[in-house]
Amino acid sequence: MNIVVCCKSVPGLVTDLKVGADGKSLQYQSQLLAINECDEYALEEALVLKKAHGGQVTVISMGGIKSQDVLYYALAKGADKAVRVDCDSHDPRIASTALAAALKKLEFDLVLTGTQSRDTLGGQVGVAAASLLGLPFAYAVVGIEVQDEKTIIARKELGGGRFADVELQLPGLLCVQTGIQPLTFVPPARRIRARQQPVRSFSLGELGLQAEPLAPKGYRILSVHPPERSHQAELLQGSAQEIAAALLTKIRESV
Amino acid sequence: MAREILVLVEHAGGKVDSVTLQLLTAGRQIATQLNTGLAALVIGHQLDGVVNALKDSGADKILRVDDPALASAAGEAQAHVIAQVARQIQPRYLLIGYSLVGMELAPAIATLLGINAFTNCVNVEMREGAVTVTRPLFDGTQHADIALDESAVIALQKGSFAPLEPSTKEAAVETVAIDSKNLPSRSKLLAIIEEPAGDVDIGKAEIIVSVGRGVGNEDKIPILVELAEALGGVLACSRPVVDVGWLPRERQVGASGKTVTPKVYLACGISGAIQHLTGMRDSHRIIAINKDPNAPIFGVAHVGVVGDLFEIVPALTKAAKEAKAEGD
Repeated sequence: MNIVVCCKSVPGLVTDLKVGADGKSLQYQSQLLAINECDEYALEEALVLKKAHGGQVTVISMGGIKSQDVLYYALAKGADKAVRVDCDSHDPRIASTALAAALKKLEFDLVLTGTQSRDTLGGQVGVAAASLLGLPFAYAVVGIEVQDEKTIIARKELGGGRFADVELQLPGLLCVQTGIQPLTFVPPARRIRARQQPVRSFSLGELGLQAEPLAPKGYRILSVHPPERSHQAELLQGSAQEIAAALLTKIRESV
Repeated sequence: MAREILVLVEHAGGKVDSVTLQLLTAGRQIATQLNTGLAALVIGHQLDGVVNALKDSGADKILRVDDPALASAAGEAQAHVIAQVARQIQPRYLLIGYSLVGMELAPAIATLLGINAFTNCVNVEMREGAVTVTRPLFDGTQHADIALDESAVIALQKGSFAPLEPSTKEAAVETVAIDSKNLPSRSKLLAIIEEPAGDVDIGKAEIIVSVGRGVGNEDKIPILVELAEALGGVLACSRPVVDVGWLPRERQVGASGKTVTPKVYLACGISGAIQHLTGMRDSHRIIAINKDPNAPIFGVAHVGVVGDLFEIVPALTKAAKEAKAEGD
């Protein structure tokens, strides 16, 4: 079974996040990109499926040259091939269009992604790309059972302790839920070695896409701001003992 | 009349999900300001119970797509059905719940219709003549306000709006025919599985001590267990703690776990991702202990401690034990 895993490159540890001077964008100094954690679970699941059923795992990410770090990380974990799409858009319609165009160039039975990225929290690109390609899909998948070369059963979460089993004819796309497999550790030496492996890259032009129809449309970002808080939390200060005493009083008067 | 506001009804086992009534509130507010109607779309099979439950929900009309083919329809076919209906009635906005069910459909419907979807929205309102959505970024530490210039799918978080008050005016029910012969058939629903109840029901507890990723290590969980015991409460957690296997799923609070409203919710090392807040924001008193003063959990907490939970928690456990000993 050949699997493509979509792994978004997201800013790593960001400690200096602030709203930009235009009031409509976010700025931060972090130059390090890390694999989006939700997508790392998809990668782990792909590697488990490969071990059980054979085939190749191709990892794909979108963004500039720096996003290749995420691809090398995935190669170090055990992915066989890496593909980068030179598209740096946070717009889900654009990102899914570019992803779908790239997927058309690859051979696969199954596409795996996470459920959402930690920066835009949209959760759209996987299902949207599947729709563009006419692939069957499922969201928030917690288990994958391979029936035969052309059929899988995905168990997906519905919330509140309910699940659904869905049968999909391959090729298909699954957005896997966090926790589907444990995350594994990659030794640094393997991460360094992985940087020797080639990365295939696609420009938008090579994917037959033009920049202009890919511009965001239909909306305007008015402002970016810290969330409005419905109320101000009362902040307790003092020694641990003083805080503990105050907390205990508040807990006891509440029950 | 201007193009309507359409709400997608989420239902399971013949019951309407609470998010639907919240979507109707949001939809009614926009519909009133745009001087248009509010319709609720329900798709599936054998929908009499669901449609009856919606009649006094405050929608002007109910669009019913009831077809045997939909009994086993998975996401792809459902999205095609909803897109078919949307092409017929051309709604101005389609409101969907930001739930695991809604998130399978919203991007697919928007893609099929060639319009934008805005997911994870915490608010939708008219602002300076434009429907404007608010949605979080970066783990919820920032919010973006986005004005919509075209029709769109809007997926709203649970709890963003109160449920719409029942109406004395009964909604008209319209049956919408769809082309069920040509639906995508490469995926189908086989079964719904209910997870058996565990030995603890965190939904019934008065005091919940909830632990998040900030605990850092499985070895540290007993410190929280001890606090829960000393306070006479139960231990719960956020999703990452379940994902790494430190606590079982029955302990999970949040969108994909349980919704709880205890008298005291003590969040220890929980940053407050939206999915978590959804499951606990209506607790009577929320106390948060977190190292990061910017953690979104402080946005819903009534009492906050910015500090190291490994200092505060043992001190609180000790204080609770001493108080109990004195009381006995």
